[in-house]
Amino acid sequence: MTEASDILLNAALGVVLLAGALLLIRVWRGPSMLDRAISIDVMAALIVAGIGVHAAATRTRYYLSIMLVIAFLGFTSSVGIARFIAVRDRPNPKAHP
Amino acid sequence: MNTWHEVADLIGSLLLLSGALVALSGVIGLLRLPDVLTRSSAATNPQTLGILLLTAGVALRLRSWVDVGTLALVVFFQLLTSPVAAHLVARVAHRTGQTGAGPLLRDDLAGQGRQATGGEGPEPDGSGTG
Repeated sequence: MTEASDILLNAALGVVLLAGALLLIRVWRGPSMLDRAISIDVMAALIVAGIGVHAAATRTRYYLSIMLVIAFLGFTSSVGIARFIAVRDRPNPKAHP
Repeated sequence: MNTWHEVADLIGSLLLLSGALVALSGVIGLLRLPDVLTRSSAATNPQTLGILLLTAGVALRLRSWVDVGTLALVVFFQLLTSPVAAHLVARVAHRTGQTGAGPLLRDDLAGQGRQATGGEGPEPDGSGTG
Protein backbone atom coordinates (compact mmCIF):
# COMPACT_ATOMS: atom_id res chain seq x y z
CA MET A 1 0.00 0.00 0.00
CA THR A 2 3.01 2.22 0.51
CA GLU A 3 4.03 1.68 -3.09
CA ALA A 4 0.58 2.78 -4.23
CA SER A 5 0.94 5.94 -2.17
CA ASP A 6 4.33 6.63 -3.70
CA ILE A 7 2.97 6.15 -7.20
CA LEU A 8 0.08 8.48 -6.47
CA LEU A 9 2.38 11.12 -5.01
CA ASN A 10 4.73 10.97 -7.98
CA ALA A 11 1.75 11.27 -10.30
CA ALA A 12 0.52 14.30 -8.33
CA LEU A 13 3.94 15.92 -8.59
CA GLY A 14 4.02 15.30 -12.31
CA VAL A 15 0.53 16.72 -12.77
CA VAL A 16 1.44 19.87 -10.80
CA LEU A 17 4.59 20.33 -12.88
CA LEU A 18 2.63 19.82 -16.08
CA ALA A 19 0.09 22.39 -14.96
CA GLY A 20 2.88 24.88 -14.23
CA ALA A 21 4.44 24.29 -17.64
CA LEU A 22 1.10 24.80 -19.36
CA LEU A 23 0.54 27.93 -17.31
CA LEU A 24 3.81 29.39 -18.56
CA ILE A 25 2.36 29.18 -22.07
CA ARG A 26 -0.48 31.41 -20.94
CA VAL A 27 1.95 33.81 -19.29
CA TRP A 28 3.94 33.91 -22.52
CA ARG A 29 1.00 34.35 -24.87
CA GLY A 30 -1.65 36.03 -22.77
CA PRO A 31 -2.62 39.07 -24.78
CA SER A 32 -3.06 41.50 -21.94
CA MET A 33 -1.40 42.05 -18.61
CA LEU A 34 -4.64 41.01 -16.90
CA ASP A 35 -4.26 37.50 -18.26
CA ARG A 36 -0.75 37.43 -16.86
CA ALA A 37 -2.05 38.69 -13.52
CA ILE A 38 -4.56 35.85 -13.37
CA SER A 39 -1.86 33.41 -14.41
CA ILE A 40 0.44 34.65 -11.66
CA ASP A 41 -2.34 34.09 -9.13
CA VAL A 42 -2.76 30.53 -10.37
CA MET A 43 1.01 30.11 -10.30
CA ALA A 44 1.05 31.04 -6.61
CA ALA A 45 -1.62 28.41 -6.02
CA LEU A 46 0.46 25.88 -7.96
CA ILE A 47 3.56 26.73 -5.91
CA VAL A 48 1.52 26.09 -2.77
CA ALA A 49 0.38 22.81 -4.32
CA GLY A 50 3.93 21.77 -5.17
CA ILE A 51 5.20 22.53 -1.68
CA GLY A 52 2.25 20.55 -0.33
CA VAL A 53 3.09 17.54 -2.48
CA HIS A 54 6.72 17.73 -1.36
CA ALA A 55 5.71 18.00 2.28
CA ALA A 56 3.39 15.02 1.90
CA ALA A 57 5.96 12.91 0.07
CA THR A 58 8.80 13.48 2.53
CA ARG A 59 6.60 13.99 5.63
CA THR A 60 8.39 17.20 6.50
CA ARG A 61 6.53 20.07 8.06
CA TYR A 62 9.12 22.80 7.77
CA TYR A 63 7.76 24.18 4.50
CA LEU A 64 4.17 24.61 5.63
CA SER A 65 4.90 28.11 6.86
CA ILE A 66 6.16 28.96 3.37
CA MET A 67 2.85 27.67 2.03
CA LEU A 68 1.09 29.96 4.48
CA VAL A 69 3.07 33.02 3.44
CA ILE A 70 2.54 32.38 -0.28
CA ALA A 71 -1.17 31.81 0.23
CA PHE A 72 -1.33 35.04 2.20
CA LEU A 73 0.74 37.28 -0.06
CA GLY A 74 0.31 35.69 -3.47
CA PHE A 75 -2.48 38.02 -4.46
CA THR A 76 -0.47 41.22 -4.05
CA SER A 77 1.38 40.81 -7.35
CA SER A 78 -1.82 40.47 -9.29
CA VAL A 79 -3.37 43.40 -7.43
CA GLY A 80 -0.34 45.53 -8.29
CA ILE A 81 -0.53 44.58 -11.95
CA ALA A 82 -4.26 45.24 -12.11
CA ARG A 83 -3.96 48.54 -10.33
CA PHE A 84 -0.88 50.12 -11.84
CA ILE A 85 0.07 48.41 -15.09
CA ALA A 86 -3.01 47.04 -16.78
CA VAL A 87 -4.83 50.37 -16.93
CA ARG A 88 -2.09 51.68 -19.23
CA ASP A 89 -1.79 48.49 -21.23
CA ARG A 90 -3.16 48.38 -24.76
CA PRO A 91 -3.39 44.76 -25.80
CA ASN A 92 -4.20 43.49 -29.23
CA PRO A 93 -6.90 40.92 -28.60
CA LYS A 94 -6.71 39.52 -32.12
CA ALA A 95 -3.03 38.65 -31.94
CA HIS A 96 -3.44 35.43 -30.00
CA PRO A 97 -7.10 34.43 -30.02
CA MET B 1 -3.47 1.04 14.20
CA ASN B 2 -0.83 0.60 11.55
CA THR B 3 -3.47 -0.41 9.04
CA TRP B 4 -5.33 2.81 9.70
CA HIS B 5 -2.15 4.77 9.12
CA GLU B 6 -1.69 3.10 5.77
CA VAL B 7 -5.31 3.77 4.86
CA ALA B 8 -4.87 7.42 5.82
CA ASP B 9 -1.72 7.58 3.70
CA LEU B 10 -3.52 6.13 0.72
CA ILE B 11 -6.53 8.43 1.05
CA GLY B 12 -4.20 11.39 1.48
CA SER B 13 -2.32 10.46 -1.66
CA LEU B 14 -5.58 10.10 -3.55
CA LEU B 15 -6.66 13.54 -2.36
CA LEU B 16 -3.33 15.01 -3.41
CA LEU B 17 -3.61 13.51 -6.88
CA SER B 18 -7.21 14.68 -7.27
CA GLY B 19 -6.25 18.19 -6.17
CA ALA B 20 -3.43 18.24 -8.70
CA LEU B 21 -5.84 17.07 -11.41
CA VAL B 22 -8.30 19.83 -10.46
CA ALA B 23 -5.45 22.34 -10.73
CA LEU B 24 -4.51 20.93 -14.13
CA SER B 25 -8.11 21.25 -15.33
CA GLY B 26 -8.12 24.89 -14.23
CA VAL B 27 -4.90 25.54 -16.12
CA ILE B 28 -6.31 23.88 -19.23
CA GLY B 29 -9.31 26.18 -18.89
CA LEU B 30 -6.94 29.13 -18.64
CA LEU B 31 -5.33 28.06 -21.88
CA ARG B 32 -8.50 27.44 -23.83
CA LEU B 33 -10.98 30.08 -22.72
CA PRO B 34 -11.20 33.21 -24.84
CA ASP B 35 -11.12 36.32 -22.66
CA VAL B 36 -10.18 37.70 -19.27
CA LEU B 37 -13.43 37.10 -17.42
CA THR B 38 -13.83 33.48 -18.45
CA ARG B 39 -10.16 32.85 -17.72
CA SER B 40 -10.72 34.36 -14.30
CA SER B 41 -13.53 31.90 -13.68
CA ALA B 42 -11.26 29.05 -14.72
CA ALA B 43 -8.52 30.35 -12.45
CA THR B 44 -10.69 29.94 -9.37
CA ASN B 45 -10.58 26.18 -9.89
CA PRO B 46 -7.01 25.51 -8.67
CA GLN B 47 -7.17 28.36 -6.19
CA THR B 48 -10.10 27.00 -4.20
CA LEU B 49 -10.91 23.34 -4.80
CA GLY B 50 -7.39 22.35 -5.76
CA ILE B 51 -5.86 23.90 -2.67
CA LEU B 52 -8.62 22.43 -0.49
CA LEU B 53 -8.06 18.88 -1.74
CA LEU B 54 -4.28 19.22 -1.61
CA THR B 55 -4.20 20.52 1.93
CA ALA B 56 -6.61 17.80 3.02
CA GLY B 57 -4.25 15.26 1.52
CA VAL B 58 -1.21 16.78 3.21
CA ALA B 59 -3.07 16.84 6.54
CA LEU B 60 -3.93 13.15 6.17
CA ARG B 61 -0.30 12.34 5.41
CA LEU B 62 1.23 14.36 8.24
CA ARG B 63 -1.39 13.62 10.93
CA SER B 64 -0.40 16.28 13.42
CA TRP B 65 -2.73 18.88 14.84
CA VAL B 66 -0.23 21.71 14.50
CA ASP B 67 0.14 20.96 10.81
CA VAL B 68 -3.62 20.68 10.41
CA GLY B 69 -3.94 24.15 11.93
CA THR B 70 -1.30 25.57 9.60
CA LEU B 71 -2.98 24.01 6.58
CA ALA B 72 -6.35 25.32 7.70
CA LEU B 73 -4.79 28.78 7.83
CA VAL B 74 -3.43 28.24 4.31
CA VAL B 75 -6.91 27.42 3.05
CA PHE B 76 -8.41 30.33 4.98
CA PHE B 77 -6.04 32.91 3.56
CA GLN B 78 -6.25 31.48 0.08
CA LEU B 79 -10.03 31.70 0.16
CA LEU B 80 -9.80 35.18 1.65
CA THR B 81 -7.32 36.75 -0.74
CA SER B 82 -8.01 35.22 -4.15
CA PRO B 83 -11.43 36.93 -4.55
CA VAL B 84 -9.77 40.29 -3.85
CA ALA B 85 -7.38 39.86 -6.74
CA ALA B 86 -10.06 38.42 -9.00
CA HIS B 87 -12.35 41.33 -8.21
CA LEU B 88 -9.69 43.91 -9.05
CA VAL B 89 -8.67 42.12 -12.24
CA ALA B 90 -12.28 41.81 -13.42
CA ARG B 91 -12.95 45.44 -12.62
CA VAL B 92 -9.94 46.63 -14.59
CA ALA B 93 -10.93 44.28 -17.42
CA HIS B 94 -14.33 45.90 -17.51
CA ARG B 95 -12.85 49.36 -17.36
CA THR B 96 -10.42 48.78 -20.20
CA GLY B 97 -12.98 47.00 -22.34
CA GLN B 98 -11.49 43.50 -22.32
CA THR B 99 -14.71 41.69 -21.59
CA GLY B 100 -14.75 39.49 -24.62
CA ALA B 101 -16.15 39.71 -28.11
CA GLY B 102 -19.87 39.71 -27.47
CA PRO B 103 -21.95 41.96 -25.25
CA LEU B 104 -22.35 41.11 -21.60
CA LEU B 105 -25.63 39.57 -20.51
CA ARG B 106 -25.75 41.71 -17.40
CA ASP B 107 -23.58 44.74 -16.81
CA ASP B 108 -23.81 46.17 -13.33
CA LEU B 109 -20.95 48.58 -13.98
CA ALA B 110 -22.53 50.03 -17.10
CA GLY B 111 -22.77 53.60 -15.90
CA GLN B 112 -19.38 53.75 -14.26
CA GLY B 113 -17.03 54.84 -16.99
CA ARG B 114 -16.36 51.93 -19.27
CA GLN B 115 -13.79 52.75 -21.93
CA ALA B 116 -13.71 50.94 -25.20
CA THR B 117 -10.06 51.28 -26.12
CA GLY B 118 -8.22 51.24 -22.84
CA GLY B 119 -7.58 53.93 -20.30
CA GLU B 120 -4.80 56.43 -20.07
CA GLY B 121 -4.44 55.87 -16.35
CA PRO B 122 -6.42 55.49 -13.19
CA GLU B 123 -9.64 57.41 -13.42
CA PRO B 124 -10.55 59.83 -10.66
CA ASP B 125 -14.15 58.67 -10.54
CA GLY B 126 -13.94 57.26 -7.04
CA SER B 127 -16.10 54.32 -7.94
CA GLY B 128 -13.71 51.80 -6.50
CA THR B 129 -10.14 51.02 -5.82
CA GLY B 130 -9.63 49.09 -9.02
